[in-house]
Amino acid sequence: MSAGSIPSGDQIKDPGYPTASENYLTNSKGALSWLFTLDHKRIGVMYLIGVMTAFFAAGLLALLIRLHLFRPDGAVFTGPEANNWYNQVFTLHGAIMVFLFIIPSIPAALGNFLVPVMLGAKDVAFPRLNLSSFYLWVFGAIFFVGALMASGLDTGWTFYTPYSTTTDTSVILATSGAFILGFSSIFTGLNFIVTINTMRPPGMTWFRMPLFLWATYATSIIQVLATPVLGITLLLLIAERVMHIGIFDPEFNGDPVTFQHFFWFYSHPAVYIMILPAFGVISDLISVHSHKRIFGYRFIAYSSIAIALLGFLVWGHHMFTAGMGPMTTIIFSALTFTVSVPSAIKVFNWLATMYKGSISLTTPMCFAIAFIFLFTIGGLTGLHLGTLATDMHLHDTYFVVAHFHYVMVGGTLVSFLGALFHWWPKMFGKMYSETGGRLAAVIIFLGFNLTFLPQFVLGSRGMPRRYATYDPEFQTLHQISTIGTLLLGVGLLVALFVLLRSLVKGERAPANPWGGATLEWQCTSPPPFYNFERPPAVGDPYDFSDIFWDTENERYVTVEPDRKIAPAEQPEPAHAEGTH
Amino acid sequence: MFVLGDAPAGDYAWFPENASTFAADNDWLFGMISIVCIIFFIPIAFALFYFALKYQKPKGAPAESDTSHNTPLELAWSIGPSFFLVGMFVFGAKAYLDHRTVPDGANEVGLQGFKWGWTFNYGGGVYNPELHILIDEPTKLSMRSSDVIHSVFVPAFRAKKDVVPGRYNYMWFKPTVATEKVSDAELQAAIEATKAAGGEWDHDRWQFTKDGYRFFDLYCTEYCGKNHSKMQTVVVVHETLEDLNAWIEKYSKRQEETNPVEYGETLYNQRGCKGCHSIDGSKRVGPSFQESFGNNRVFASGEAIVADENYIRESILYPKAKVVAGYQPVMPSYKGQLSDDDIYCLIEYLKTVSAHSGKTEGGENIEASSSEDALSDAETATE
Repeated sequence: MSAGSIPSGDQIKDPGYPTASENYLTNSKGALSWLFTLDHKRIGVMYLIGVMTAFFAAGLLALLIRLHLFRPDGAVFTGPEANNWYNQVFTLHGAIMVFLFIIPSIPAALGNFLVPVMLGAKDVAFPRLNLSSFYLWVFGAIFFVGALMASGLDTGWTFYTPYSTTTDTSVILATSGAFILGFSSIFTGLNFIVTINTMRPPGMTWFRMPLFLWATYATSIIQVLATPVLGITLLLLIAERVMHIGIFDPEFNGDPVTFQHFFWFYSHPAVYIMILPAFGVISDLISVHSHKRIFGYRFIAYSSIAIALLGFLVWGHHMFTAGMGPMTTIIFSALTFTVSVPSAIKVFNWLATMYKGSISLTTPMCFAIAFIFLFTIGGLTGLHLGTLATDMHLHDTYFVVAHFHYVMVGGTLVSFLGALFHWWPKMFGKMYSETGGRLAAVIIFLGFNLTFLPQFVLGSRGMPRRYATYDPEFQTLHQISTIGTLLLGVGLLVALFVLLRSLVKGERAPANPWGGATLEWQCTSPPPFYNFERPPAVGDPYDFSDIFWDTENERYVTVEPDRKIAPAEQPEPAHAEGTH
Repeated sequence: MFVLGDAPAGDYAWFPENASTFAADNDWLFGMISIVCIIFFIPIAFALFYFALKYQKPKGAPAESDTSHNTPLELAWSIGPSFFLVGMFVFGAKAYLDHRTVPDGANEVGLQGFKWGWTFNYGGGVYNPELHILIDEPTKLSMRSSDVIHSVFVPAFRAKKDVVPGRYNYMWFKPTVATEKVSDAELQAAIEATKAAGGEWDHDRWQFTKDGYRFFDLYCTEYCGKNHSKMQTVVVVHETLEDLNAWIEKYSKRQEETNPVEYGETLYNQRGCKGCHSIDGSKRVGPSFQESFGNNRVFASGEAIVADENYIRESILYPKAKVVAGYQPVMPSYKGQLSDDDIYCLIEYLKTVSAHSGKTEGGENIEASSSEDALSDAETATE
């Protein structure tokens, strides 16, 4: 079979294009039709705008941090309050990135858009709850950022006691903000769990779900189980402040390390809330753009669940130097190593999927390849930190900073961008410039490595994190890192430009621009407000054998053999004639 | 020769100087883990880019294979790497137990962390912000914090431990490299240059302490507020016990010939007063000393007194007894850490920096002062 040929005589299945009255973006007009929409797709788009705004703000703060560190004595903030400024800026950067961007980015923004469509459903199980979780997010975001800015909170996004409780009470406000945001993610998680459990179309068994849904399901479990602990921590903090019951504050015989236990019992699983959806995205991207069945579906699916469960047991590795007992410390180290296995499995499976595939180096595929490269570095350097003896040296240095940025930025952000470029034609019905998109991916990849590779060396040479000023011997590496940040920023701006330009000048997107086999590619781009007229027939989500490239119309189409309704003619009722 | 921990930019060693018994273990283990990582990473990266180019095909071309899984292969790559992980865990945990188990007979030095500095207690009432220890002898630090969590990190020793308020944490190390002393001429030149500039001793510039010792850096690595990045001190490893004892002796107390005001100023600079109390009237965590001695003080409780010797003494020993209005009760007590003579010297020094000292108490305070700098400071401020 030659490339691009559609077997003749077969039926082509393609939904065509939506009319303006069907298109979910245009079927009703006016700001209110968006603000009060129950359509999961519109809510997803609103989330998308929200998280991208947060990302833009926190990204500018990151730029300020790096520019300040261009000189040992600090280049940006000057005067007697310089260090305070720096500390507030890195606190804001971390808090906004974690709570307002990384956690909601893929699950809330893309998950909202994709989960029902991938299930062939018309909406999530609880559309009103869905809208309310968006408004909770908006309210929480305003509250949270307001609390941080008003009090000039400078505790870092970790709010460690007793530093956070000795200065003023704003830590309670900030934690309340985080908890409101947490409620938003509990609602979203609950919604997805119910939707996936009850609304799968007939024929879609658990093991015929797209892996993005598996990852979303695992993420939702963590959201529902871990976030309440943040609420408990908040209540205890309030009780501590008001009644001095002595839980965290040594002045009342409390133990500040207890706060770290509580905090990381939520925040470590939250790390997996950040990375698991990325795994799901990459599994789908690699398979679709390699036009080949995902390798080891079950191992990937099970490893998502394994990570979700093991992720609850490793929080102690944030406290290896805090003075826990030796036995506790060693047990946490052992558990930490176990969580690295499922992540490694996924990397091998993705590579095996690419092997002997038919790879299109599209923009999403470029991001997916960048993801595997960067995430592998992030994962492997975790081994240095999980090993107790070397962690004694590396803990709380730039090595840790580099490690988690490789996972959170090189992993989650890059996969978020990959997902955005992958589903952009579906969300907005426009194709973007492939050259521009690939250029952005390359610049981001180079800029990212230039920013964070030097930080590993900084860390192993002993540069502590969260330093507003530093010893002159670290200057060269810091400067390389700062230059990398500028390049990374340029790459992100190029990506934004390419996407925004497509909205104005982009060509109309076909229903299936990449050749995906999951259900979202079977409705129009953008989908009609009702997604599917009737529940679609469910096939294997990774079977690409009946998807063909239609050169003439520049689209992929699903081809079915021409079926004859059998029997073709009504048989003559032989016995009927002339008997009566 | 320079101390590698402070190697000039351009030297790209992976680690600072290897200066304790932990360092060799750590560096070896770090190297082994890195090798394992590279063994995995290079094939992964190679396969990634090679597959991406080799199997790149025009749109619509079918994949060459449709294999959905291969259980033995998948089990192999799930279980295989675990052996490396077990190895890392075991070696790491063993070396960690070494870190944790303080050997009998280790020399004990007390450590107190505070915002933003360190005080080391050498026993016998000798306190100093620098850590001085003996080569090839295990040293144990008994650490406590008077405010928030700090963390002691000596990169050259590959050792780190948090200092947590409300409990004692311990750490130990055995230095294997002594920090040399620079020549007297070099030291003298640096001292004069510092005097001429009128500033403080600049460790980064000279790369030796004001006693002429090269040093290893000691950083705070647990974020503790505004001047977290300034919460650094030096570790000096002495070659001989005599040398160490001579240094301790030098700092044990005020020498006969030292003026109390000068010594008070030294204490102000070294013992952590300076982090929170300015002498130029600017507001820091605590009230400025310019408005302290001889001034009317209003407290959070509403009462007010004129700050005299007894008030200063009480504030040093029981800081929370009288808290000046507008400030938080966050100052740690110095009870047991400052001798009566130390407190006397501090009070004498405070008199010289107070804007009101001359007026309220008559001329005697000025007579007690011989520090012209401090005096002129006070005068300028009064104007």
